[in-house]
Amino acid sequence: MKKLNDIPGKNPFKVPDNYFEEVNRKIISATSDIDKEVLKVGIFNRFRTSLLIAASVAGLILISYTTIKLLTPARVNSQVSEVLHEMSPDLYLNDIDLSSLEENASSLVLSEEVPDVSKKDIIDYLLNENIEINDIYAQL
Amino acid sequence: MKLNNIRPDDNISELLKTDLNKGFQLLVEKYSQKLYWHIRRLVILHEDADDALQNTFINVWKSIGNFRSESSLYTWLYTIATNEALALINKRKRNAAVSIDDLESYFTTSQEGSTWFDGDEAQLKLQNAIMKLPEKQRIVFNLKYYDEMTYEEMSKVLKTSEGALKASYHYAVKKIEKIIVND
Repeated sequence: MKKLNDIPGKNPFKVPDNYFEEVNRKIISATSDIDKEVLKVGIFNRFRTSLLIAASVAGLILISYTTIKLLTPARVNSQVSEVLHEMSPDLYLNDIDLSSLEENASSLVLSEEVPDVSKKDIIDYLLNENIEINDIYAQL
Repeated sequence: MKLNNIRPDDNISELLKTDLNKGFQLLVEKYSQKLYWHIRRLVILHEDADDALQNTFINVWKSIGNFRSESSLYTWLYTIATNEALALINKRKRNAAVSIDDLESYFTTSQEGSTWFDGDEAQLKLQNAIMKLPEKQRIVFNLKYYDEMTYEEMSKVLKTSEGALKASYHYAVKKIEKIIVND
């Protein structure tokens, strides 16, 4: 016997009877007891590529949106003003000069002369409103 | 059954994605014998091979999520099994309860050894010669001679170039034949 080829390449080792059926059962049983956390990591890794793509797209959208917002400040202010007005119309009062408003208003309210309306029209209107004629003349 | 006859693993790879438990069960049924014999030829003792095989599949189960479907399932399994076998050999070197340096003596004189060896005298000489090879050469020889693994597949398992593996196998055969002739 000088060459390797002269020796039959047969497996010379033995195993106990039914060893492989038993060891397969042992392996399945042992692995089913292993913490499921391991599998969660595994599932993450399996979908790792998809998750990375989704995260990249989301990041790109966020960056684009932020850039657009930053480059259009006027539009932003206008939108904010509209929103504030809807939320609280009283806020606009801060922008009005209240003292000048009162001056202009009082001149109109206190005026005895109402332009383009004759005394006869006023008397007719008051009579329609069931006001006594004597009370009307008392005021004139 | 030769390794070439039990490929491809497309169905198992797909099943591992959709039904992990069923896919893993199929994987164990398909590969436990092949991996056992690969480990057994390295560690020699049945008890050691049994431990290493179970550890191999537990590691496979734990890291199945890291397996990339584009790589070969069976070369990945052989890598894990080889590492488990080597880890066990190193452990045994540190805590050697049974010396199996001389296989001929172990398998012919000890009751434990003779129980698990079924070869003739020539095969015993061959196993003895294989045991005298350096560790890496022994793995290369076993994968080529018994498992009929291609050099391309072997290079994935052992992370070594095909040229280096060819040279390693060539020297292993020369050494074995020399040992057998001198015996």
